[in-house]
Amino acid sequence: MKKRLLCLAGALLAAGCLTGCQKKQVRPGEIAGYDEGEGYLSIWVHSIEDTEEGQAYRESVERFNEEYDGTYFADIEFIPRNDSGGGYSDKVNASVMAGGLPDVLTVDGPNVAAYAANGIIQPLAELTEDEKSIYLPSIIEQGTYQDQLYALGVMESSVGLYYNKDILEEAGIEVPDADHPWTWSEFLDILETLKPIMEEKGGYPLDMTFPVGESSIYYFAPFVWSNGGDLVSEDGLTVDGYFNSDQTVEAFQFFRNVVEKEYMSEAPIDHLFESGRAAFKFDGAWEVNTIYQSYPDINLGVAPYVVSDNWNGGTYTPTGSWAFAASSKASDIEGATELVKWMSGVESGIRIWEMAKSFPSTYEAFENIDVFTSDENYRALYNQLSNYGHPRPKTPVYPQVSTSFQEALESIALGGKDAKEQTDKSVERINAKLERYTR
Amino acid sequence: MKKKNSIMGMAFFGPALVLLTLFLFLPMVLTFVFSFTDYFALSPELTHFVGLENYLNIFKDDLFVTSFLNTVKFVVIIVPLQCIGALILALAIHHAAHCKKYFKVAFFIPVVMSLAVVSTLWMQIYSPEGILNTLLMKLGIDAQPFIYSAKQALPSIAIMSVWQGVGYQMIIFLGGLQNINPALYEAAEMDHASGWQKFKDITLPELKPLCVFVFITVTIGAFRMLVQPMVMTGGGPDHSTYTIVYDIYETGTVNWEMGLASTMAIVFTVFVVILTIIQNVLTKDKEGRKHVHKKAKTN
Repeated sequence: MKKRLLCLAGALLAAGCLTGCQKKQVRPGEIAGYDEGEGYLSIWVHSIEDTEEGQAYRESVERFNEEYDGTYFADIEFIPRNDSGGGYSDKVNASVMAGGLPDVLTVDGPNVAAYAANGIIQPLAELTEDEKSIYLPSIIEQGTYQDQLYALGVMESSVGLYYNKDILEEAGIEVPDADHPWTWSEFLDILETLKPIMEEKGGYPLDMTFPVGESSIYYFAPFVWSNGGDLVSEDGLTVDGYFNSDQTVEAFQFFRNVVEKEYMSEAPIDHLFESGRAAFKFDGAWEVNTIYQSYPDINLGVAPYVVSDNWNGGTYTPTGSWAFAASSKASDIEGATELVKWMSGVESGIRIWEMAKSFPSTYEAFENIDVFTSDENYRALYNQLSNYGHPRPKTPVYPQVSTSFQEALESIALGGKDAKEQTDKSVERINAKLERYTR
Repeated sequence: MKKKNSIMGMAFFGPALVLLTLFLFLPMVLTFVFSFTDYFALSPELTHFVGLENYLNIFKDDLFVTSFLNTVKFVVIIVPLQCIGALILALAIHHAAHCKKYFKVAFFIPVVMSLAVVSTLWMQIYSPEGILNTLLMKLGIDAQPFIYSAKQALPSIAIMSVWQGVGYQMIIFLGGLQNINPALYEAAEMDHASGWQKFKDITLPELKPLCVFVFITVTIGAFRMLVQPMVMTGGGPDHSTYTIVYDIYETGTVNWEMGLASTMAIVFTVFVVILTIIQNVLTKDKEGRKHVHKKAKTN
């Protein structure tokens, strides 16, 4: 008898292990708030529930359920991810194969193209021009693939060229306005002027690194764009003649110049700018908050992002963040679109700023947040984003483009290798990955 | 009775078997199958059978070859340092008069720590203004870039890995040392054998089976190098610390090319298995010869 019980326990344990990954079928009444007659919409977010960001999503979904009571019910699930997006993307990949994708999911901006090209997400239901016009152009641009709108983000982002006001004043350097940024040659002259001053302080004019991961392309692709270049073609399927164009090569050589003249440290030094030993630093918008909170001694300013000498006034500054999209498994695309619009809308945007200090994605949200009018640094970043924001390359092989960019930057700028040769090599490698989409 | 026993056995073994099948054997078989396909994680329905194409392609892939060579470099640095280091530490502790426990714990602690934590810690140590460079400056040596230079990154990470892992093998050797019959040493002392002779003719031969074990496990461990470069250098600078397992990870999860990643995994596994067999054969051979040698002597 005992043994039979043991057998049963064993079988149960085994069965329990097997059924863990079944997709749940939810019926009205099973979850608080989901009533008869409501359309059920599941939504995945790339965040931990206990974080400020997670709480902001939770609140937005709760407000959606209030607002659409009787029509739709959204059910949110939190899927943690690591820095490079692993964990979350693993779950998405697994669900693509095994089934179980939700109706709405978050997608990192640069991955929209790959997800769309592989049919993981579907175009949103038609938005009116009015509905579209509330978003910053960079958000619409980021979510569009082959002329169809797939994703809308609640967050935008930007990178600032921060400067130490005291040091620039000491050197007698004037900062230009947003529409007349320093050009490469002007900037190199300034760095040259600052070099002896910074050497005295035991630092460098520029606090800059070319880290592995997404940061490098995010921070430094603008140098290619402002030089009239691009990393991939319009349709995202060609890199030859783009990634290895003269414009791109010149941008890489600019960085080599900066390294060679020792305007920056080859090996990254922590807190160089924050400790007052660097005059400039490229960093995400979060740096403003960091300086205000932790380094009140630094007199912070935001200078316009540097442009190439050939800049024609077009958009070029860094943008992009995670966005909401409807999965191809969503049967009610109207409902899914409503949820995407809500999650990325003005109210949700204000909430994401208040709780997680991420930039919102709509004009109205920015206008309703005091700090974007009262604080000159935040205002500068917002202006840069709304007037000059440029999304990262839209191509189904984005991960390869991103890693290739960082590798090329590192080997050219730091390793001193030939720029044309390196970019040609990158093109070859990216082309191998593009084959899947072009054959 | 026998039948009852087997039911009982299955009850205990069953759940483990199911889990092993599900999470170990099945993935292994699938990896093998995928290695002949162009399975792409984002559109699995478009998977085709491509025969040996993947196998031919990875050897033409510069990056795979680089990562392969890097891994071999790691192994060549780590294996001798870690094996000999562990033996020296074990001998030192074995003969230490005081604080044996303290040293045992001190050398073992890095093994207990998470690799990611150790890596982050060493990033501070290796940083341009970190403790190591400060020490070097005090000694009048120029600051070194360590993990930020293509030349020094690989050895820097290898040395850190040895520091992290050596405690484990040390404990194994220590166990072996305590098991050697003290009578052997007493006999040697009667014959006025020197310390070196005792080590060469008693300690080393007695530890031989353990040496083989340590040698093989360290080799396999070194081949699987992933966390340290992932955390510390991201495989850079200039791919100088990019390893095979890192390449498999990037190909499969970042670039979504599961088919290609499976092929790499299979090639890697086959290589390690072959190497282990060679190691086994070589070390066994020597042992055999020594026995013969000994016998001849006694005769």
